[in-house]
Amino acid sequence: MTKPITFDGYEHREMTDAEHAQFQLDEAEAKTKIDAQANKATAKAALLDRLGITADEAALLLG
Amino acid sequence: MGANAQTSVPLFVANSVLTAAQQNISAATGIPVFSTTVTRDAAFGGSNKVLAEGQLCYLESTDVVQYYTGAAWATVGPAAASGLVYITGATFSAASSVSLPASTFTSTYTNYRIVFRVSAASGTFTLTSRLRASGTDNTTSNYATAAPGVFSNASATTITGYNTTSFGNDTATNATGLTISVDVLNPQATDLTQVVGNLIGFNSLPAIAGYSYNAQFNATTSFDSMSFIAATSTITGYYKVYGYSNS
Repeated sequence: MTKPITFDGYEHREMTDAEHAQFQLDEAEAKTKIDAQANKATAKAALLDRLGITADEAALLLG
Repeated sequence: MGANAQTSVPLFVANSVLTAAQQNISAATGIPVFSTTVTRDAAFGGSNKVLAEGQLCYLESTDVVQYYTGAAWATVGPAAASGLVYITGATFSAASSVSLPASTFTSTYTNYRIVFRVSAASGTFTLTSRLRASGTDNTTSNYATAAPGVFSNASATTITGYNTTSFGNDTATNATGLTISVDVLNPQATDLTQVVGNLIGFNSLPAIAGYSYNAQFNATTSFDSMSFIAATSTITGYYKVYGYSNS
């Protein structure tokens, strides 16, 4: 299996096993963060829809 | 001693013979070239002494041009590097992580400026960064990040983290990427390494997000490099690193 590419300051190369292991941890953490942000955006849009107002109108309310 | 270096400064008097060698070295150098200050002083000494205010010379030993004030030799240049001094830079393409070369941070400078630009990405990514030593990223839970920010629609945002295994950075959901311009303070010293600067991300153009970036490695570890990790995507761009002159 081809490992992700890293640029190590000198050349583009495949990650070593150790680098790849750490990258997989980073990748899982990043996906969790990205999913959480997407879920938050979806929930926000749903709430605005239920309230029948736009994001700008919501900002006015909170301002 | 180089080909242009001379060991004497002729003083011509009536009926002196100007040799081809003397004329050639004068035409070749414009100003006299000496191997060291010792040969310079010897050349201007003795019966051939012609040293006077305004005399110029070049020293091979230190690669400088000097002038004589009438009392002493003073250096014209080159001037010592000051301000920001370029250290290294590179472009990268379709990489999942990017590391600065080993020994980017040295004892020559205490503080550094890094400009890291992601100009394209294969998809949504979260860029994190780590300090590095001897070719290995430091993944201990010593990173802290406190970066207040704002979206261009005026809503607030933050990047925060404490006891994490990397510095927190922005999540970019647009292929136009993001740019980090930060100062890295004390990375080589046995001191806390701190990162201060700015980050601009493009989450959904034309909207942008801007952060005042503050981060710290909570241990006095000495580092010689830094890595940027774009988990979930590959990135294309460039980096440039400068050292802050210590004087």
